[in-house]
Amino acid sequence: MNESRWSTGEPRVPWEGAEILYSESFQIVGDDFEHGGEAAAKIKAMLKQFGLDTAVIRRLSIANFEAEMNVIMYAREAEMQLQVLPTAVRVILSDRGQGIPDIAQALQEGYSTATPQMRQRGFGAGLGLPNIKRNTDEFEIVSTPGVGTTLRYTIHLQG
Amino acid sequence: MVPREPSILFDPARCVGCVACSQVCPTKAIRVAAGCAVVKPDLCIDCDACIRACRYDAVQARLSTPADLARFKYKVAIPSMTLYAQFGRDIHPSQVLHGLTRLGFDRAYDMSWMNEMVAGAIDATFSEAGGPWPKISVTCPAIVRLVQVRYPDLLDNLVQIETPRELAAKVLRRRVAAEQQIQPQDIGIFFITPCTAIMNSIVAPVGLEQSNLDGAFAISEICGPLLKAMKLGGAEERDDQISRAGIRWATSGGELMGMRNTNTMSVHSLRDVEYVFDHLEAGKFQSVDLIEAYICPDGCISGGLTIEGRYAAGRNLQHIGRQLGTQSLVKEEKVRSLMREHFFDFEEEIKARTVRPVAQDLRRAIALERERQDLLARLPKKDCGACGAPDCATLVEDTLRDEAIIDDCIFLRLARCEEAAAKRGEVSR
Repeated sequence: MNESRWSTGEPRVPWEGAEILYSESFQIVGDDFEHGGEAAAKIKAMLKQFGLDTAVIRRLSIANFEAEMNVIMYAREAEMQLQVLPTAVRVILSDRGQGIPDIAQALQEGYSTATPQMRQRGFGAGLGLPNIKRNTDEFEIVSTPGVGTTLRYTIHLQG
Repeated sequence: MVPREPSILFDPARCVGCVACSQVCPTKAIRVAAGCAVVKPDLCIDCDACIRACRYDAVQARLSTPADLARFKYKVAIPSMTLYAQFGRDIHPSQVLHGLTRLGFDRAYDMSWMNEMVAGAIDATFSEAGGPWPKISVTCPAIVRLVQVRYPDLLDNLVQIETPRELAAKVLRRRVAAEQQIQPQDIGIFFITPCTAIMNSIVAPVGLEQSNLDGAFAISEICGPLLKAMKLGGAEERDDQISRAGIRWATSGGELMGMRNTNTMSVHSLRDVEYVFDHLEAGKFQSVDLIEAYICPDGCISGGLTIEGRYAAGRNLQHIGRQLGTQSLVKEEKVRSLMREHFFDFEEEIKARTVRPVAQDLRRAIALERERQDLLARLPKKDCGACGAPDCATLVEDTLRDEAIIDDCIFLRLARCEEAAAKRGEVSR
């Protein structure tokens, strides 16, 4: 297995053992453009109910939308898990799919492997992963070509 | 912040307590209690959806009265462009303006030229304006309220230019005071409105401390008497200062036609606006400069207080526009100099009016969310409205706010009765 790993942001919240106030999982299915963006929309509505800072919700929503569309375009299926912690919100997105052979390349703005059909739908500008990186405080990608990719990203709550 | 008055009232004599209005309300602002609907003013965005949905004519817009008009020495009417579209294809705006002077107004002024000015100003600001993009037009007050109540993240996207109706009233008050040699406060300036949203923007202004308008009358109320007045004639002299580009503002897309430098998008009807705003919040549509958004399905000609159907009104307006010629009434240099004088600026910042969350603290909010999900699981999800709330989710919300009880649900009550009856052995199936 040639697993590759990439991460950015200073980890403030441990991935294991942190107190989780709320968690909920959403299933995403590859090629399901009809329901594209629904998981991100549900999470946004949920976080609004929680009364979180609107800037946090906006940043997470942008990241979630990009991540969700990535699954729909490139993977077979995925589970998107939202976790609300006392000091952060984070999302763990594990997909089963083709994986990312070169993460550093995929993180370059403008780099895209989108097909002309995807571009016709307005996707494939090569801004997906860079957009997630830009809008989150911690971001980690673990990918195994042919098996799948796991994204984990965190946004810190103020105070 | 000043508590908001409702812009609509339900007539208890007419309201039968059906749920047609509460079910179409986009912000879930209506409850039906004791056979009559009531509105929660802080949730209402003045979209007029309830007025259109009511089959019993029980929803009344709060508008100015003849007594309000009588308070002023000199009475001025400024009609919405939509008023011109109510009388078929072959009228000239001058006839409408003249007709209004037979209905108790001393003068009626056209404001189409101000629409053209504001379009020019918006167009000109784009070269200097900073982000966030796209900008959202503020002409429709229901859109501004929707942003304040539901999309506070988009407040910075609102165009920072006052509406033509307010600017026109400001200019006209000065002009009339000088011409008639009377005090500005003795002049009453009334808008002839296609919707309740504009009336409410006068009562509870946004972006300025006090509206330049003194009130509003509904197009639907004024149409009958006005038609009779217009038949009396007397408007042979035709105002050649009416702007074709300006009158287009009554229809969707009209505001965008004058834009030369911008990449635009026109969105109308509430559902579509919500779709676009949701996407804006998610960072989409970044390549658009200006979004013209209207809560009504086809812009102002489809307002809740109009008479002529929107298709006929759109066609009428097109035809009226053709009579007016294509000349531009506005000089770019004039617009630029007024911009330097800050003529078009808002006086006040537009602030959020979000409804208070049930809980402030995160842990409490999450506990409430669990409670919400548990309560919702007990309800039938028929969204029948019989409990008084428009749907099951809103009944849960009201229950959490102690404004209702979950047993207001008739299905839960029925189940409870059957259970009790079964216990007593009175029911044999």
